[in-house]
Amino acid sequence: MALLLFSCSSDDDAGEAQPFVAAFENPSVSFTAEDTDKEITLVYSKTATEAGTATISYTSVNAEYGTHFITSPSGENGILEVPLTAGSNSATFNFTKLQNPVEGTEMSVTFKLDAVSNTNSSLQGNTTLAVSFTESAALGGVLSPEVGGPNQPNQVYVDLSSQTQTTVKRDTWDLGFYSGEDFRVVLNGSLYMAAKELESTDIDAISEADVTAFQSAVAVGTFSAESADYIDDPSGNIRETAIAEISETASENKVYLVNLGSAIGTETPEKGGIDITDDSRGWKKIRVLRQGNDYVLQYADLNATTHNEVVIDKNEDYNFTFFSFNTNEETTVEPEKTKWDLNFTVFTNIIQGYGAYGYADFVATNLKAGAKAYQVNAADFSYENFSAEDIIEANLIEDQRGIGSDWRNGGGPNTLPSLKEDVFFVLKDSDGNYYKIRFTALLSESGERGYPKFEYKLL
Amino acid sequence: MKQLTLIFLILFFSSITAQNISVSDSLSINNLDEVVVTGQYNPQSIKKSVYEVSVISKADIDRQAGNNLADVLNQTLNISIIPNASTGKSQVRMFGLDGQYVKILVDNIPLVNDEGFGNNTDLTQINLDDIEQIEIVEGAMGVQYGTDAVAGVINIITKKSSQNTWEITPYLQEETIGDEYSWFDEGRHIQSISVSHKMSDKWYANAMITRNDFAGLWGEREGRNYAINDGKRGYEWLPKIQYNGKALLSYQGNNTRWFYKFEYFNEKVSRYDSVVRMNSNPSTGTNNPVSSDEVFTSNRFMHHLNGNGNFNGGIRYDVSFSFQQQKRNAENYNYRIPSREKFDIENFEYESRKVYYSKGMLSDFLNNQTFDFQLGYEVNASDGYASAVAGDFGGENINRYLGAYDIFASAEYIPNNRFSLRPGARVFFSNKFNAQTALEISSKYTFNNNFELRAVVGTAPRMPNFTELYSYFVDANHDVRGNENLQPEQGSSVFVHLKKPFALGSEFLLKSKLTLGYLNVEDRIELTIVNNSPLAFQYNNIDRYRTWNVSLANGFFYRNINGNLGISYSAVSKVLDSRDYNDDYLNAVQLNANLSYSIPNWGTTFSTYYKYNGPEYQFVQEQDENGEDVLVRGRQAPYSWWDASVRKLLLKNKMELTLGVRNLLNVTRVNTTAMEGGAHSGPPSSVLLGYGRSYFIKLLYNLNFN
Repeated sequence: MALLLFSCSSDDDAGEAQPFVAAFENPSVSFTAEDTDKEITLVYSKTATEAGTATISYTSVNAEYGTHFITSPSGENGILEVPLTAGSNSATFNFTKLQNPVEGTEMSVTFKLDAVSNTNSSLQGNTTLAVSFTESAALGGVLSPEVGGPNQPNQVYVDLSSQTQTTVKRDTWDLGFYSGEDFRVVLNGSLYMAAKELESTDIDAISEADVTAFQSAVAVGTFSAESADYIDDPSGNIRETAIAEISETASENKVYLVNLGSAIGTETPEKGGIDITDDSRGWKKIRVLRQGNDYVLQYADLNATTHNEVVIDKNEDYNFTFFSFNTNEETTVEPEKTKWDLNFTVFTNIIQGYGAYGYADFVATNLKAGAKAYQVNAADFSYENFSAEDIIEANLIEDQRGIGSDWRNGGGPNTLPSLKEDVFFVLKDSDGNYYKIRFTALLSESGERGYPKFEYKLL
Repeated sequence: MKQLTLIFLILFFSSITAQNISVSDSLSINNLDEVVVTGQYNPQSIKKSVYEVSVISKADIDRQAGNNLADVLNQTLNISIIPNASTGKSQVRMFGLDGQYVKILVDNIPLVNDEGFGNNTDLTQINLDDIEQIEIVEGAMGVQYGTDAVAGVINIITKKSSQNTWEITPYLQEETIGDEYSWFDEGRHIQSISVSHKMSDKWYANAMITRNDFAGLWGEREGRNYAINDGKRGYEWLPKIQYNGKALLSYQGNNTRWFYKFEYFNEKVSRYDSVVRMNSNPSTGTNNPVSSDEVFTSNRFMHHLNGNGNFNGGIRYDVSFSFQQQKRNAENYNYRIPSREKFDIENFEYESRKVYYSKGMLSDFLNNQTFDFQLGYEVNASDGYASAVAGDFGGENINRYLGAYDIFASAEYIPNNRFSLRPGARVFFSNKFNAQTALEISSKYTFNNNFELRAVVGTAPRMPNFTELYSYFVDANHDVRGNENLQPEQGSSVFVHLKKPFALGSEFLLKSKLTLGYLNVEDRIELTIVNNSPLAFQYNNIDRYRTWNVSLANGFFYRNINGNLGISYSAVSKVLDSRDYNDDYLNAVQLNANLSYSIPNWGTTFSTYYKYNGPEYQFVQEQDENGEDVLVRGRQAPYSWWDASVRKLLLKNKMELTLGVRNLLNVTRVNTTAMEGGAHSGPPSSVLLGYGRSYFIKLLYNLNFN
C-alpha cells in the first residue's frame, strides 16, 4: 500500500559544530603577604574529547622568573605548556610567589594564552590573567556559591574582592546578637523562625498553655498580614527586629515565644523544584537582658520551670555573635563584617498584605557593613558596556534586598522559577569598590535548583 | 503551503474534467428515519425513543473530513471543544461543565483514557474512521450510563455490517495547520486503510489502521533546535503522532448477535520547553544552551465482547465484557541544543488506567407491548495510577483500586402509541464511596398534530478525581490538600423537548425542536479555605452549579438542499460557599447553522457549517484601587466557527474527493477578562481556541466487490 508511506521527520540532524575554548577561569588573581602558592585554572567550553596543549606566555612588571616567582609546569623559557587531558573540563598550573615586593612597588605578572592545540579551538573569553603580588580587589570573575542543591542547606557568604566564599549550614545557629551600637537580637530567617513578645518578664512562669492560642499565628507563610510583626524586617534594618531593643532596664525586657522554624528539607524534589523545609524545629521561650556591653540570654523549652542562662559578648569585627540552641554555645557563622558582600540563603521576606513568606534562592547584601546594590535592566544598559560612569549612586538601596530574588523569575502554577537574563546588578562593597554582577545560572546543567552561578566585574 | 496548493489545483482540475454520472448521498433520506441506540432497550427509531437523541451522521462527519471527535463536535449547540496547547489534549465542555461531567461511550460502554474511564476524555484520541454515527443525549443519565453522565452522554456507534462482500477503503488526508504546511515538518498528514469483509449472512469482519501525524503549530515559535532564551523555542501547539488500529468480528444469528471489537491506540506527544538555560560561561565566552523536554507516549488497548438477542425469542439480553487499558509513559530528558544531545534521560509511567468492565441488561420479560421492564448491572474494577509528577501529590505516586458495582432497573409503560413512560433507578456500590443512587423518569407524548413532547428527569453522581482526593502540597508557605473523605457530586437535570415536523408542499420539510433544560450540580467539589491563619486549603463538597437552557433547533429539507438552524440561550449560576461570591445568573447565547447542497449530476455536495458562540461571563475576584477584593463580571469575547467543504464523487463513485476549509474566520485566541489569576501570576488575557484557518483535502477510494 503505497498510501501508507510512513514518513520520517527531518529534525534529527547532526547539530552545529561548536568550537572548543579553553580560557582562564578568572581574569585576575592577587596574593596577600602570607600567600605563596596559587593554583590557576583554565576552564573549557565543553569536555575535551582529545588531549592537547595550551601554550601560555607572560609579561611581568618588576618581577623575574626564578627570582620572584616560578610556575609549574615551568615557564623558565618564557612559555608554559599546560597539558589538557581528554575527558576533562579544566586544567591547572601552579604559580609560586618567591618574594614579597618592597612596599610601594608594583609587582605583577600577566599571562597570555597564545594557542590551544585541540581541533577546532578558538581563543576567546579570558585569554589573559593578571597576577598581582599584593592584595588588590579582583578585577572580576565567576563564582558558583555552594548553596547545596534543591534542599538549599547552606548559607553562602561571598566576598567579591577576594573572590572567596564561606559556607555555613543554615541550621547551625538560631539567634544573632548585634555587635554594633544597638542592643538587638535577630532570628535565623533562613529557617523561617518567628518570635512574639509575651506580657511576662518571668521566663519560668510561662508554659505551653499560655501561648497555645497564638502559636499558629507566630509563623512564616500564614498568609495573614499579622505574621509580619513576628519576623525581623526583611530590609535588614537592625532597628526593626521582631525582638524589641534590649533595654538596660531588666523589667522592660519581656519573655518571647520563639518558633524555631523548619528543619532543612531532605527529599529530592521534582527537577527544578525545591524541598527546603522539613518538620518543625519546635519552640523555645527566651528572654534577653543587658549586662554592661554584653547580652544575657535566658532560654528554656516551653514547659520548663527552670532556664539556662548564657552571657554573650559583642565582637566588633563581626556584625553578630551567633548562638545555637542545639549546641548551647556561641557559633561562628558570618565571616568578619568587612569580608563579605553577598549572602546566598533561604530568606524570610514579606509579601504586602499577606505577611511573612519564605523565599529560596535569595541573595542578601551585607547592609550592616554598608554593602548595597541596585538592579539595572539590560534594556537600559548592556552588561558588557556598563562602566563606572553609568553608576547611579542614588539608586543603591538602603535595604539588603537590593538583589534579593530579582535575579530570577518567580514561577507559578505549572511554571518553575527561571533565570532572568535581562537584568544585572550594581553593588558597592564595604570598601567602596563598585562591581557589576550578572547571574548566569539558577540551575545545574541537569536542571536542579540550588546551583547558582554569577559573573562580576570591578567597575 | 505551496505543496498543498499544488495538490488542490491538480485535483480540482482533474475532478471537473472527469466525466461521470453519480448519485447524491443518501443522507437526507436516512435522516428522516434514524435508528438510535443510546438509552434504548432495543435499537429503535428516533421517533419512538423516549429520550431525545441527537445524531451526527457519518455523512456529516465525512463532509467535515472529521478524523477524530475534536474535529466534529465544535459545530454542536451547547458543546464546546477546549484545546490545551500545552498538553495537546482537547476536552469537551457541555452546558459549561467540563469533560469530567460528560460521559463518552463507544458502542454503549465507556472508553478508558489515562485520566478516567468514560469521562475526562481527550477527544483527539477518539478516531472516527469506523463509525456509523455519533449520538448525543443532553442531561443526567445516571440510570442508564452510571457515574459522571451528568451534563450528557456522547455515544459513538461503530459500523458492524456492510452491503458488500469486500470493501477496501484507503484514504489520504492532507491538512494545513493554520497557514503552515510542508511534506513532513508542518501540517497534518493522515493515512488510513480499512478492509471489511462479509463472510456470510452471519459473519462479518473489519479491520483498519490510521496514522495521524499532527506536526504541531509553529506560529511564532522556532521548534526544537532553537537555542535562544526568548520564549520562542518549541511549538505553539504540540506536535503529536497517532496510530490507531481496530478490528471487529461480528456474528448475527436468528435471535442473537455477537461482536468482538479490538482497538489499539498509540500516541506520541512531544513537549519542548520554551525556556532555554543558556549556561553562559563568561570565562570562555561561550554558552551551553540546554532545555528540559518531555515526550509522552500513550498506549491504549480495548477489548469489547458484546452479545445481545432474545432467549428463545423471549427475554432480551444485552451483555458486554470489556478489558481496557491506557497508559501514558513519559520520557524526560535534558537536551544540549547545539549538539542535539539528550542526557539525564528518565523513563517512567506517568498516568494509567486499567479496567475490567461488564454491563448486562435483561428486558422483554413479559412479552407485552404495554409494559416491560429492564434489569441491569454494571461493574468495573479499575486500577488508576498517577505518578508524583502528574500532580501535586506531595512526591507520592498514587495507586488506587476502585471497584464499582451498580445495579439498575427501569420499567417502560406504553399504554398506547402516543404515550410512553419510563421510570428507572440505579444504586451504586463501591469500595471507596458511600452507596449512591440515580433516578430518572422519562416520558413521551405524541399529540394529534404530530407534536412530540418528551420530558426527561434524571440524576447522576460525579466521582471525585485524583487531584481532589490526593493533592498534597504542603510546605512552609503553602497548605493545599486533597480530601479522601470527599463524596461524589450530585447532578440532576430536567429536560423538556417539544418537536414537530412541518411539511410545506411536497418538497419542503421542516423539523423543529424546542428544548428547555435545567441542570443542577450540588455538593460540588471546590478548593476551599479551611483555616485562615495559617492559610490552608482543602477540597470539599460545598458548592453548587445551576444552568438553565432554552434552545430551538430546526432542520429543513428542500430538494437537494438541507440544513439546520439552531439557537441556544443559557444562564449559569454558581454558588461558591468557599468564598464570597455572586450567584446571579450569567447569560450566554450560541447559534449554529449549516447548509448542504448537492448536485446529483455532478456527484457533488457543497456544505458549510457555522456556529456563533456569544460572549460568556464569569464573576472574577479582582482588587480595586484601594486594594479591596471585589467581584466583577468578566467577559470572554464572542467568536465563531465557520467551515466549508466540497465533496465530489469521481470514477463511478469509487473515488471521493473532499476539499475544505476549517475555521474560515481564522479564530485563534479570544480576549477574556473572565479568568482569575493565580497567587504568583496575573490572569491570562486571552483563551486559546484554535490555530487559525486551515485547508484540507481528502481523497478516499472505495474498492467494493461482491
